[in-house]
Amino acid sequence: MNFLLVTLIIIVVAMILSFIRLMIGPTIWDRILMLNLISIKVVLFVAVYAIHQENLLLLDIALSYGIIGFLTMTLLSKFIMTGGREK
Amino acid sequence: MSIVMNVILVLSWVFIVFGMIAVFRLKNIYSRILSSTTIDTVGSLLIIISLFFAVDSFRFVVRLVMLIAFLLITNPISSHVNIRSAYLTGIPLNDPVNNHD
Repeated sequence: MNFLLVTLIIIVVAMILSFIRLMIGPTIWDRILMLNLISIKVVLFVAVYAIHQENLLLLDIALSYGIIGFLTMTLLSKFIMTGGREK
Repeated sequence: MSIVMNVILVLSWVFIVFGMIAVFRLKNIYSRILSSTTIDTVGSLLIIISLFFAVDSFRFVVRLVMLIAFLLITNPISSHVNIRSAYLTGIPLNDPVNNHD
């Protein structure tokens, strides 16, 4: 029983549940929160897969995907907070 | 070495499962944001700490330390920006209609 493979399966199931919550979320901040959770789980998935395959370059991909997810989250929240106007 | 990694991975499974249950059960948006971000941060830190016991080269260790530092810096900033946006544009802190907790 390989524990890394079970971790990968649990992360994928959690991503599917997050996507269901993203579709039924009542407000837009729920959807942004679930988007953040999905991006963190993608980073975790790529990191665990890199260790499982013993590939060094996948860890760099995980880091850059984390930066993209963080920028998406903060810029969307600021855009909604100011109502699309400059401030 | 491998036994320590497996124990920490099982702990991270517990945190991820409770985080998803909390996201589906809680009714108020602020409690949902609090529980999901804290529990998911702890789960991700446990998974990456457990990966230290599986590698033997120094180049993997440098990348994993950078990943832990990045997650520790950016997760609180993301949840703070989300809560500030939700508070300044409408949702009250104590909602008497949707508060069943």
